[in-house]
Amino acid sequence: MNETLKLRLEARRDLTSEITEFTFASSGDAPLPPYEPGAHLTLNTPSGNWRSYSLTGVNTSADRYVIAVKREEGGQGGSNSMHADLSIGNLIEARVPKNAFSLETAPRYLLIAGGIGITPILSMFFALRKECKPVQLIYLTRSAEDTAYLDALTAQDAACVIVHHDNGDPEQIIDLWPYLQTPEDCHLYYCGPAGLMQAIYLNSIHWPRSQVHSEDFAGIVAHSGTAHPFRLRRAATDELFDVPADKSILDVLRENGIAYESSCESGTCGTCRMTLTAGEVAHRDIVLSDEERHTAIMPCVSRAAGEEITVEF
Amino acid sequence: MCFERGRMLTGNIQALYHYPVKGLTAQRIDHVRLNPAQGFPFDREFGFARHDSGYDPNAYKPLPKTRFLMLMMDERLAGLESHFDTETWQLSLHVQGKPLMAADLSTQKGRQETETFFARMFDMTADEMPRFVHAAPHRFTDVSVASEALMNAVSLINTNSVKAFGEKIGQEIDPMRFRGNILFDGWPPFSELDLVGKEIRIGDARAKITLRTRRCAATEVNPKTVKRDLPLPRLLVQHYGHADMGVYAEIETGAEIEPGTPIRCEGV
Repeated sequence: MNETLKLRLEARRDLTSEITEFTFASSGDAPLPPYEPGAHLTLNTPSGNWRSYSLTGVNTSADRYVIAVKREEGGQGGSNSMHADLSIGNLIEARVPKNAFSLETAPRYLLIAGGIGITPILSMFFALRKECKPVQLIYLTRSAEDTAYLDALTAQDAACVIVHHDNGDPEQIIDLWPYLQTPEDCHLYYCGPAGLMQAIYLNSIHWPRSQVHSEDFAGIVAHSGTAHPFRLRRAATDELFDVPADKSILDVLRENGIAYESSCESGTCGTCRMTLTAGEVAHRDIVLSDEERHTAIMPCVSRAAGEEITVEF
Repeated sequence: MCFERGRMLTGNIQALYHYPVKGLTAQRIDHVRLNPAQGFPFDREFGFARHDSGYDPNAYKPLPKTRFLMLMMDERLAGLESHFDTETWQLSLHVQGKPLMAADLSTQKGRQETETFFARMFDMTADEMPRFVHAAPHRFTDVSVASEALMNAVSLINTNSVKAFGEKIGQEIDPMRFRGNILFDGWPPFSELDLVGKEIRIGDARAKITLRTRRCAATEVNPKTVKRDLPLPRLLVQHYGHADMGVYAEIETGAEIEPGTPIRCEGV
């Protein structure tokens, strides 16, 4: 289902004190599969955890995959192990890039990125500039030192790039309303930390959803306050598993010694997709289309809507 | 007298709200004159009917709530701060405190602008344009489909019930999720649900409780984050075996009421 690639780390470069850029080349002769702006690469990080990172769109012409990874204090380990344990020449397993945040054709674009959320937005920005499309980028960071790709962006036409630093001061947070008040025919793409995502969501609440696109890299958890316990039936064997309110389907399978391939575990990458054969699902992922939701489930975050669901795994 | 575990039910009104335009923002009112067999003045007298609602302005008939723009299906409405002047029919919409648009719904132009605005907001085509409708003396309340009496009932929310429910699920619940007309406290949690068929007094007004309010998915929408974050109907059923929060009451004797007005059970 997921084609695996072997990548070789060709270069790494510190963009800020916390963000490092990794450039991967194919480890063999075959060229890397192409990708579109907004796509992400899922890697088996040195920690053993599969993690997804947006491709920045830098260096595509040279047949390279470039990602930028932020070290996270108290993070889940995947990103920190990239920083600590991945050296030039190392090989790493990856999946063919996928895109859950693709650019739609539009008359004009407004792109808003906060912090490391610049990575998918950057690839969109470069692609749109290349096509000479009307685009405005608003890039929000704490300070110039914390701003990845600042040089590359300040080299662009100043009229289409706004870089704003709030210096960690709530008083200096940019007022996005002038940019969001009138959607007209513009399409909005945004990615950033949770607080910014919510602020943009609320300030663009009146925009038609067909013109609003976002990617939440914080992901989604399977057992928020809205979860309830249910039974999971395995289609092939009729085995039953009890999934308590505070565990995901994947957690329960793991406890039962069933290793099921997964990655982001936040309903965003699509790796752990299972076939749904019976029962109603409360879908919580942001990967499956409405159509796919009739026959598939993302067991990392989604749950039964009722008492029982039957799936294949 | 009406007793609950040996105590008389006495409480006070905390706040009064009406919702002149179905689905749009609650409007706080300082005082209101309740009249027999009438609901809150202007409550849900206006709405935006979907293009296929079947609403005929010349022949009112009650329609299910899904035929209008409303929170259960259109949760983003909760992110528009709207104010509708029931005298002048001026509608203003704000987003996060910032003015978005204003229109005079007493004019064709103003109605058209507003209908176009909502059609855009909800990705409706020109053929699907919603229509601003005015039903007075009828109302577009959810229970209007049940009976004319219920259409003209007022809805009461015992905020102690909301608080108790919140404690049960370990999360504070904003009583504004339930979009009631009269928010009051002082009664034991859920005591109001046992009073169907009984009379209560709201200041000098007399009212009869006629129905428990079964909640729908509109209550899942957090009024502050404008996201569905708590499956309240499901949680109610899980914890209490029913999906009810609040009651409807029909006014039998009118009076002026305001926040602070006592609300009590009059007898069994």
